[in-house]
Amino acid sequence: MIEVRNIFKFYGSTKAVNDISFSIGKGELFGLLGPNGSGKTTMIRMLTGQIKPTSGSVRVHGVDVLEDPIRVRELAGIVPEQETPPSFLTAEEYLYFVAKIRKMESYEKTCEKWFEFLDFGDQKNSLCKDLSRGTRQKLMFAQAFLHEPELAIIDEPLINLDPVIQRKVKDFLAGYVKNGGTVFISTHILEIAKQICTSIGIIYKGKLVYTGRLDDPTLQRRNFEDFFLDLVSRPGNSGTGLSIPAQYA
Amino acid sequence: MFDIFKSMLKEEWRMHSNLFGNNGFSLFPVFIFLFTFFVSLVLPIFREIFTYAQIALGMHYFFLLLGSMVGAFGLMGREFMNRRFGQASMIAYSSRTLPVSERLIFANFLVKDVVYYFALYVLPFVAGFALAAALIPAGNFHFPFTLLFLLLTLSLSFMIGLSLVFFLSTIYAHSGKLLTLGLLAGCVFLLSISGNLDSGIFYSLPSLSFFLLSSKSQFLLSSGLIIIPSALSLFFLKVDFPQAKKSFPNSFSRLCGKFGSYRYAAFVAKDFLDLKRSEGGFGKLIFSFLLPAALIWMLLSALGKVLPALNILILISLVLGVLSSSMYNWLTEYDIFTSYAFFPLKVSDMIRNKLNSYLFLNLVPFILLILLTLKKDPAFLLPTLLLFLSISLYMVSILIYLTGLSPSINLYNGRTFAVYTLSVMPLLLVNVILSMFGPYYVLVNLLLVPLALYLLGQSFRKWDRIESPRF
Repeated sequence: MIEVRNIFKFYGSTKAVNDISFSIGKGELFGLLGPNGSGKTTMIRMLTGQIKPTSGSVRVHGVDVLEDPIRVRELAGIVPEQETPPSFLTAEEYLYFVAKIRKMESYEKTCEKWFEFLDFGDQKNSLCKDLSRGTRQKLMFAQAFLHEPELAIIDEPLINLDPVIQRKVKDFLAGYVKNGGTVFISTHILEIAKQICTSIGIIYKGKLVYTGRLDDPTLQRRNFEDFFLDLVSRPGNSGTGLSIPAQYA
Repeated sequence: MFDIFKSMLKEEWRMHSNLFGNNGFSLFPVFIFLFTFFVSLVLPIFREIFTYAQIALGMHYFFLLLGSMVGAFGLMGREFMNRRFGQASMIAYSSRTLPVSERLIFANFLVKDVVYYFALYVLPFVAGFALAAALIPAGNFHFPFTLLFLLLTLSLSFMIGLSLVFFLSTIYAHSGKLLTLGLLAGCVFLLSISGNLDSGIFYSLPSLSFFLLSSKSQFLLSSGLIIIPSALSLFFLKVDFPQAKKSFPNSFSRLCGKFGSYRYAAFVAKDFLDLKRSEGGFGKLIFSFLLPAALIWMLLSALGKVLPALNILILISLVLGVLSSSMYNWLTEYDIFTSYAFFPLKVSDMIRNKLNSYLFLNLVPFILLILLTLKKDPAFLLPTLLLFLSISLYMVSILIYLTGLSPSINLYNGRTFAVYTLSVMPLLLVNVILSMFGPYYVLVNLLLVPLALYLLGQSFRKWDRIESPRF
C-alpha cells in the first residue's frame, strides 16, 4: 500500500529526512514513532504529496506521489497535525463542504453517523472557530473517513481527545484495519502505538532507526519504553536530555 | 521593564520578517520613503487644487487611521496569528505564564507599538516628504522647521488613533454591549448636531490644530487624548475578550443548491458565508468599498469642476477597477492553503475558486457603475463598463501573479510592492490622460484582457511550483 525508497528531504543544509526506506502492506496499522522534531510530520507531508522529497521515491496505492499527488489525496483520508477547518463554517457545513470537494453524491447520512459516533452532534451548528481543540480534532477525524478511503494517514490521532473518544477511535481503527483498511499514524506517545499498531518505525533526527512488527520476539522480551529510549539516546544519538536536572535529582 | 520592551521589539521585527521575508520587509520603510518622495514631487500641482490646510488634514487623518489600524491588529489579531503560525504565543498574551503583571506587559506593548511603527511608517513618510519639499516649491511646508513639526504632529495623530482603539478595546473586553451602545450614542449625537456641522469640524483634531496654529492648549489636548485613554485602558485592563459563540442552521447546502451544477458552487458558497459571518459581516462591503467609492466620487466631482478636461465617469470606472481588486484580499484572509493541503486540490485550484468568488463580488461595483453612468451620462455606459472590467481583471491578475493566495502578506514585501506599483501606476496615469481625449480612447484597455489571462495562466503554474514552508 505504501512504498518508500531512499527518500531525503533537505531544508537548506538541514536534513529533515535522511535516506529512509520502508513499506507497509494492506491491512497494516503502522505507527511512526519519534521524539518531537524528529521528522514525522515531514514524512507524512511527503507521503501525501504536500511537499516533495529532495530525492527518492514514494508510491501510495500504486500511485507515484511525485507524479500525481492529487490522486493520492483523492484515495487517502488524511488527518493533519493541526486542526484548521475554515473558521466561519459550522461543523456540519464543513463536513458537507469536504464531501463536495471530494465530489461525493450523497453524504448527509454519513455525516450524521460521524456526529453520533464521535459524540459531537450537539455542536454541529457551531462555527468551527468556536469549537474546542478536541472537537476540532473529532471533526478532522470525521472528514478523513467521510469518503470511506482504503488508506488513512493520521498525524497524532488521539492527542486532544478525551479517554472515552480515544477508546472509540482506537476500536474504530482496529476494526477498520481488520476489514482491509490500512492506517499510517505518526505519534510520540508510545502507549498509543503499543495498543493499536501492528508494526512500527522509529525515526530519530530524520533517520529511521528501527522498523518491525510489534509482535517481534525481540521487542516482546523488552520494556517498550526502554527499547525506544535506548534507540533515541544511544551515544551516537546523544542530546535527548534524559538526565534529571541536578536540583531535582 | 526594559527587557520586556526590547523583547517585544525583537518579536515584532521577527514576526514581520518571518511573514514577509527578511530583506523584503527591511525594504518596506525605504519604499515608503521613495513613494512619498515621488508623490510629493507633484505637490505644486496638488496645491493648485487643495489648500495647505487641506493637505495637512489629509496627512493627519491618514496617520490617525493608521494608528487605529495598528492598535486594532495588535489587540485583536491573535486569531490571525494563530492561523498563520499555529497556536501563537506572543509576549503580549503570556501574562498567565510569566511572573509579570498584565498591566506592565500591555504598557510595554503600547510603547513598543509607538516606537516600532514610528520607525516603520511615520519617519520614512516625513523623510520622503521633507526631501521633496527641499527640492520643490512646497509652499508653507518649510524645510526644516515645519517638517520637523509635522513629524511631531503626525506622530501625535498616530498615537491618538492607537490609544483610542486601545481604550475602545478595553471597553469591549468588559462589555461588548457597552461599546455598541456607546458607539450608537455617539452616532446619534453626531446626527443630531449634523445640521450645525460644517467642514471646519474636521480641523478640530487636536494634533492637526496644533500643526496649523501651534498653540500650547492644542498640544496639551493632543497629549491628553493619548495619555488619558491609555492610562484608563491600563487601569481597567482585562485581557479576556467576550466571545459570543454563535449557532447557525446549515446555510451552506441551501446556497450550494441555488448555484445548481456550477463547478465552483461549494467554494463560492463558503466565501459568501465567510464574508457574512466574519467580524463586520457585509458592513465590510459598505465601509471598505462603498464608502471609499462614494468619497472618491465626491472628490472626483469636485475635481471635475476645477479641471473640466477630466472625464469623471471614466475616472470613477478606473478607480472602481482598482478598488475592487482589494476584494481579492478579503477573500483570501479567511483561510490559508494549509487548511486545504490534505485535500485533492492544487494551489491553482484554490486561486481559481477565489477568482470565481471575486467575479461574483465584482457585481457590486459593476452595478454601482451602471447606476452612476445612467444618472450622469448614459452614452458612456459601454466604455465605462468595459474599462472597469479590463482594469479589475488586470489588477487582480497582477495581484495573483505577485502574491498568490496571500496578498495581504506578500504585498508587504518591499520589492513585491514596488513591482506591483510599477505595474499599475503608469497604466493609471496613461488612462487619466487618455480620458481627456474622449471616452472611446480608453477602450485600448481591452488589450489588457489577453495580458491578464496570460498572467493568470503563468500564476497558476508559478504558485503550483512553489512549495510553501508552512505546509
